[in-house]
Amino acid sequence: MNAISATAIASGRSRWWRSRATQRFMRHRLALIGILLITVLALACAFGPYLLPYNPLQIDIRARFSPPFTGNHYLGTDPLGRDLAARLLEAGRISLLVGLFAMILSTFIGAVIGVVAGYRGGWLGNALMRFVDAFLAFPSIFLVLAMAALLQPSPVMITVIIALTSWMEVSRIVEAEVRSLREREFVLAGRMLGLSGTHIMFREILPNAVGPIIVAATLTVARAILTESYISFLGYGIQPPLPSWGNMLNGAQQYLESAPWLAIVPGVAITMAVTSFNFIGDGLRDALDVRNDHH
Amino acid sequence: MTDKTMKALTRRGALGLLGSAGAALMAPNLLGKPAFAQTKGAPSGRIIVGLVQEPTVFNPLMVKIEVDDGVHFSLFDALFRFTPEGELVPNLATEVPSQANGGISEDGKEWRVKLRDNVKWHDGKPFTAEDVKFTLELIVNPKFRAWRTAGHSLVRDIKIVSPTEITWKMEKPFSPYLSFLTETFIIPKHAFDGVADPNSAPFNQSPIGTGAFKWDRRVAGDRVELVAHADYHGEGPFLKQLVFKYIPDTTVHYTQFRSGDIDLLGRMYITPDNYKDAKTLPDRIIQLQPAPSIESIALNLERPQFKDLAVRQALYAAIDKAAIIDAIYYGVPDSVESYVPRSSYYYYDGLPRHEYSPDKANELLDKAGWKRGRGGIREKNGVRLSFKNSTTSGNHLREQMQQFVQQMLQQVGVEMTIENMPAAVMWGDFWMQSRFDTAVVGITYLIGSDPDVTNRFHSKSITAQGGAGSNNVQLKNARVDELLEQGTALFDPKQRKVIYDEVQQIVRNELPFLPLFAENYIHGRKKGINGFKPNGNTRTESWNAAQWYWAS
Amino acid sequence: MFVFLLNRLWQSVILLIIVSIIGFTILNMIPGGPLSQYALDPGMTAADLERLKEQMGLNRPLPIQYLDWAWRMAGGDWGTSYRDGQPVTAVIGRHIFATLILMGSSMAISMALGTWIGIRGATHRYSIFDYTATVGAMVALSIPTFWFGLVGIYIFSLQLGWLPAGNMYTIGNETVLGYLQHLILPSLVLSLVHVAVWSRYMRTATLDVINQEFVRTARAKGVPEKRVLMKHVVGNALLPMITLAGMQLPQLLGGALVTETVFTWPGMGRLFLDSLGYSDYPVVMGLLMLSAILTLLGNLIADIVVSMVDPRIRLS
Repeated sequence: MNAISATAIASGRSRWWRSRATQRFMRHRLALIGILLITVLALACAFGPYLLPYNPLQIDIRARFSPPFTGNHYLGTDPLGRDLAARLLEAGRISLLVGLFAMILSTFIGAVIGVVAGYRGGWLGNALMRFVDAFLAFPSIFLVLAMAALLQPSPVMITVIIALTSWMEVSRIVEAEVRSLREREFVLAGRMLGLSGTHIMFREILPNAVGPIIVAATLTVARAILTESYISFLGYGIQPPLPSWGNMLNGAQQYLESAPWLAIVPGVAITMAVTSFNFIGDGLRDALDVRNDHH
Repeated sequence: MTDKTMKALTRRGALGLLGSAGAALMAPNLLGKPAFAQTKGAPSGRIIVGLVQEPTVFNPLMVKIEVDDGVHFSLFDALFRFTPEGELVPNLATEVPSQANGGISEDGKEWRVKLRDNVKWHDGKPFTAEDVKFTLELIVNPKFRAWRTAGHSLVRDIKIVSPTEITWKMEKPFSPYLSFLTETFIIPKHAFDGVADPNSAPFNQSPIGTGAFKWDRRVAGDRVELVAHADYHGEGPFLKQLVFKYIPDTTVHYTQFRSGDIDLLGRMYITPDNYKDAKTLPDRIIQLQPAPSIESIALNLERPQFKDLAVRQALYAAIDKAAIIDAIYYGVPDSVESYVPRSSYYYYDGLPRHEYSPDKANELLDKAGWKRGRGGIREKNGVRLSFKNSTTSGNHLREQMQQFVQQMLQQVGVEMTIENMPAAVMWGDFWMQSRFDTAVVGITYLIGSDPDVTNRFHSKSITAQGGAGSNNVQLKNARVDELLEQGTALFDPKQRKVIYDEVQQIVRNELPFLPLFAENYIHGRKKGINGFKPNGNTRTESWNAAQWYWAS
Repeated sequence: MFVFLLNRLWQSVILLIIVSIIGFTILNMIPGGPLSQYALDPGMTAADLERLKEQMGLNRPLPIQYLDWAWRMAGGDWGTSYRDGQPVTAVIGRHIFATLILMGSSMAISMALGTWIGIRGATHRYSIFDYTATVGAMVALSIPTFWFGLVGIYIFSLQLGWLPAGNMYTIGNETVLGYLQHLILPSLVLSLVHVAVWSRYMRTATLDVINQEFVRTARAKGVPEKRVLMKHVVGNALLPMITLAGMQLPQLLGGALVTETVFTWPGMGRLFLDSLGYSDYPVVMGLLMLSAILTLLGNLIADIVVSMVDPRIRLS
């Protein structure tokens, strides 16, 4: 490892909690609210199901359509008499995990394509970026639905589909960043030291683009959760009996008049989760001083 | 409708099927001419029929779906038609041919049909035997995208004896053809003069028929408007205008009926969850009508789990059909054992009744050697009693039912996972080539209300095994094959009934599918509409729109 | 300029070809197909379905089908809908009006509201209004559109009974007023996200302009604050806004899809879902191509406008 990158990494690692970025983030009230919200939500989804008296898959046909606060059904029951609170938390696990893993996967794809395109440039870079453009020319929901119809809609598949349709932005950001860094001193130095292209791309350049990537990734989680809810609402997403926030809303429209809580409860959960990721992303953007030119 | 009236009606239906000459003379009266129609004079008023799917095919011979039929019945006539009582009556023909009246030869191969001479096409030209010949030939034209060709492909040597008489030969005796002809609408030969490609003829978008209503216009994506045909050969029409309005959502469909924007609900009628509410609506008539479709869980008999009859019996016993019907379907459908709709003359009532008993299911499985293994799931000789269940995604009631069944099966050590798909995927090769484990499916087994089910249960109809048919559950039973072959060669309904009774018994014992229930359509219409008569022997509520009129 | 346009056109054509190949491949890989809707029809046998497949050319190799489609497309023939038997252009054409009216009205609402909120937020920076607007915008971006629609229907249709729950008009009451009543709820729902985006952009744009020399000069000259703002700020900020509008067009199309589903609005979004459900490939492909063309057009317009506004960026 050469001296330049070593210091770069060291400065990144040493006392991150005292860095200016961290302090700016901590002053961002919305971001803190976001962190708080999502922590509460995640903890509830992780441990809540063990505390509730009901199994999310337990059908009790006699208790169907119980309104909230009937007995121990704090949020009421669904058309099969299953406890809505238990289902909501179980669904939260799935929706949040889908969002999280879709983010990881799409950031990975986007970063790799972006770095390669930006660093190599030339025909390969051009071809890769045209490919990015082609994907961006699809309205994403169209692409997602077509792919969901093609593949078996298991949670893993849905994650892959969402990732495959949301990596373009990261790759654009990374490509731009890498292109601007390509001719910088430390890269040139690395090249003179005879480091391999892969090493320079991923060990030297990529860490410098981490700020924008983190921001984009946070916002990608938000969007992935929304996308999951869209496709599941339309019936192409996660299939029952596995609950997800989106598929809990699928069919709720039919009972809007007789059992409105079926529609209201999961929607509030989605909004809360997505809002908190958007808040955090906003805070990160300010803290990491990322230009506000992507939307 | 009570059981008693139904039986009485079907018995009368049997008489009609014999095709006595008397039926022909009685026909106009049977169609239920309103008592004070004469005083109504010229057609007046308008009825708006709401449909959840959009009718888009207007050439009645081209490949189509049920919802298109509603429009076709008003625009066109077939040679014969089924009354709601299951009686076959002449329409463009003057009598229903039978071996008794000489219309069909003793060997069942030579057919002779006599036609009305007072029928005019909507453009004023006379209807003749030429048109019938043209229609029957177009269906088997290899370039034409025809709807089903079953039966038609057996027709040979069509001869025009006179403008009002036509004969043909059948390659082999095939009695179901009579019923098939009730769904074969006759189209005008002259509309295709000089047309190179019948698939894109102008006629297909502005049809000309002999029916009670004439084509007016189509606002694509929204509605089809028909107007009265003054020269109609039968009774009616009494309405000036008939509108088929497309509403792509069942909830809105019902809301618009409740608000009065729609006069009469067509397919898919009122959904079971709205039944209770619908009955409280003022000035609306809500009516249950047995539907021909049977809801069942189809089992793929080639899967190792289902080869064992005990498994199939156990699965059936483990399912609480009554709870499904009452809780999830709001008590609207009726529990059934047979694939034949209850409105049919051929319905066999003596089948053993389903009994819900998890104990019996457990006992059956234990006895057959299916032992509980990993995760409490039974297995035998390395085969786990675990399978997938699939259906169209987005059908909420069905999805609820699946999850309910899933839980009930779990209790007897059977694992059922749910894997639903969009309609186009589900009913593509996945279904046709028998790639499913189990499927929740609503099937109308009878073609044109004929009891022949060769297409569904004959071993040569298994597509996945090189056959040509829709035996998707892959039932192979030598006795069934034999009976089905006999049945199509017989023309006497009484003799045929014996045969199809036995088929129903074998199918019930073999359980290639677990029969759940027969749907009941929940018809709804405004109180002022008279002449409406649901007909389980057609695919549409609008089969007799010619008879509809507003009470004044 | 001319060279630039030519270059962009060439690139766009390449892009469209890539898009169409990806779309066509994905669609045709979906198992099933347009004929499966007849599979449950009593009496439709596998042989019948095979015959129809042959007649409709569906059993040719995929590349051949693609080339056939692409060749016709290049000649302006978008194909014929399997479900409807009518030309794809006609099928799309009769759904486009509903979508345009929904998008247009929602665009108008979000522009008007977003501009106002954005400018006010910028001129009253760090006020309660500004803060609320900022937070509100972020929350609005986080609400699933369809859920917002459901809540809207619950409150305004089911509880209050003020507005219809769906459809574009009521049969028998096909008046302008009737259409408007049906339009209010879906267009409000659809504009939610866009108000948020617009107001953020408008705020940034206004802040950029406010600090510029000529605005300060005008203000120093004693021109009333409001006049200065209206004249300079809005005038200057609106152009980039149009850029944004151009780029948002295809997104709006996607957003319209869910809104149209919730409100049973007979637009292109619904058409897409229906056609996808029936595997009506020609229509789905038509819609894909149309939206891809719109996207490219939107980007192009955005680039041109930006270059006209900002002379530093030259089109080359």
